[in-house]
Amino acid sequence: MQSTACLHVTDSFGIRRTVPLLKPVFTIGRKVESDLHIMSTTVSRDHGEIVCEQGIYYLVDKGSKSGVFINGQRVERTALSNLDRITLGGADEYQIQFIVNDQSDQLSSTDGLASGEMNLAATAKEKLKNLARYVEINQAFKFSLAPDDVLTLVVDAAIELAGAERGLIMLKGDGEGLAFKVARDNRRNNVEQRDFALSTRVVREVLAENRTVILNTTPANDQQMQSVYNLSLQTVICIPLHQFQMQATVGVTSMLQRKLLGILYLDSRRQTGHLSQTNSRLLDSLAFEASKALENARLLHEEQEKQRLEREFEMAQSVQVALLPTSDSTPQSKYFELAAQSLPCRYVGGDFYDLMALQNGGTVLTLCDVSGKGISAALLASVAQGVIEAQFYAGASPAGVATTLNRVVVNRSDANRFITMFCSVLGDDGNFSWVNAGHNPSILARQTGEIEMLSTNSLVLGAFDFAEYCVTNTRLLPGDVVFIFSDGVTEATNGSDQMFGDQRLQDLVRRNKDRSAQEIKDLVMSEVLAFTSGEPQGDDITVVVLKMK
Amino acid sequence: MDINLRSEGNVTILDLQGNLTIGAAEESLRQRVEQLLATDKKHLLVNLANVPMIDSSGIGSLVKSFTNAKNQGGKVKLLKPTRLAKQLLSITGLLSVFETFDDEATAVASF
Repeated sequence: MQSTACLHVTDSFGIRRTVPLLKPVFTIGRKVESDLHIMSTTVSRDHGEIVCEQGIYYLVDKGSKSGVFINGQRVERTALSNLDRITLGGADEYQIQFIVNDQSDQLSSTDGLASGEMNLAATAKEKLKNLARYVEINQAFKFSLAPDDVLTLVVDAAIELAGAERGLIMLKGDGEGLAFKVARDNRRNNVEQRDFALSTRVVREVLAENRTVILNTTPANDQQMQSVYNLSLQTVICIPLHQFQMQATVGVTSMLQRKLLGILYLDSRRQTGHLSQTNSRLLDSLAFEASKALENARLLHEEQEKQRLEREFEMAQSVQVALLPTSDSTPQSKYFELAAQSLPCRYVGGDFYDLMALQNGGTVLTLCDVSGKGISAALLASVAQGVIEAQFYAGASPAGVATTLNRVVVNRSDANRFITMFCSVLGDDGNFSWVNAGHNPSILARQTGEIEMLSTNSLVLGAFDFAEYCVTNTRLLPGDVVFIFSDGVTEATNGSDQMFGDQRLQDLVRRNKDRSAQEIKDLVMSEVLAFTSGEPQGDDITVVVLKMK
Repeated sequence: MDINLRSEGNVTILDLQGNLTIGAAEESLRQRVEQLLATDKKHLLVNLANVPMIDSSGIGSLVKSFTNAKNQGGKVKLLKPTRLAKQLLSITGLLSVFETFDDEATAVASF
């Protein structure tokens, strides 16, 4: 004989339903695609399953952390008998009963009728609290729960609690009107919006008076209720949903502000029934808990949006990091050493450097600082980096690169942004030709202990189309160190509002000029970070160190 | 940052008070200059005496103001930049672009 089996499930909201076991393998778990989706954080994604083999149903543990139980006994794979109670470890609030070859419909419906009005109101509040709590838990665990899912949960719970036939939620959008969100019937099916003829009069009244409206109509004697009458609805309950916000007022006190979020609309064609008798206290808690659940979902959604943006920033960061030379692509030579690092103060920054070997000899060292911070600066930085690289590959001199980049930025950027740049080419013969376009002077620490500042007071890039740049040539000798940096180094600020400063940096470089490029770079970075000792980094910090061997 | 306006003949003096740094301060200077240019006040003298700190965005707002004024036949000049401001203007090459004065009467007479 082919047996028919089902589960009686009472979920964490106290909502009871019958789930038929129609598939040969029926999955149970936290995974949304599970045949029985358990909404509990402590249940495994694939927790267990019920397998039907030759008419016999087996409960199988799918390697869950907390186990599956039949009548309190933990099992691995055990045949189920009629009326067995199934429990999932970590989700005791779920009551699951296995039913085979019986009249399950009768059982559940007599059970439902047995609960009286008082009882219903009391448990209803509990169930609603569970709903809000569920959303909170999801929030705490940062589970993905789409706002629409919460709306569906709220409507389903409301229909059940009020004993309505159908329910829908409309929420305020950006404009004035209400937007349809979700409509359900008491069999937990979605209802099309067009099938849901709304009494606009009731909705208007709720919105105007900001209170719950209950309407009982009898077709014979109420001419004023035209639209409701036409819809042949007997009972309508329309509840305003609110967003509660703590709002600071003048002084220290804050107040809980109520802002209309939308409406929950329930109706029933039956003339009598739960809906018309639903007591007002139940409706109040329904309105409050539903609002709270929606508010929690909104907060969760905001949190997720924030996380999504953070992921975007992280991706932008890795793109920007990838644009910088790696240790492998940094030019190597027996005549010099190079070391460089850039620390953006946000995910991405307006600082960048480039180190590249030219095909016909010579090594490019460039450091740029785009004014401003963050994404907007990083976008312009990327353009600038592309222009510089392309210009050098096309054979331009540092002065030509500066002139071209100036024009590009003047033409293609809003005028209050500019770029400062130190751009140089080190020839194989030790000739160092450089342009300083409005950038802070780079430090040349001679092997002899002298300090030269590499600056010509030339204009920043991108401010004026008439700016011109010319190259300065300096001969570098073995042991000389060129220290190129952005103002984030010297303007790094400690807790007492003191800046790291030019003098401190010059002394540091001079004292350590005999070390390797890498050591000098590391030393300056750690000195700057030690100086600011935990103060938030106010600007991007970038250094390039050239050491002649 | 606060901006107070004074008039000396056909010159409008903008007395800045506070840091000219990224965010609201540079934004408000730029907007204020745009408003003045729109109302045909084209001779602008920006007083930096009480601006302890300028960053690159602050410099950016001065450059933008300068360019806007120039494009509309006006002029932006600077009064009493602090040592730090002067240093920054020098490094960025902007001392060659901005006319800078330490004396208000001379500055006003120069327009």
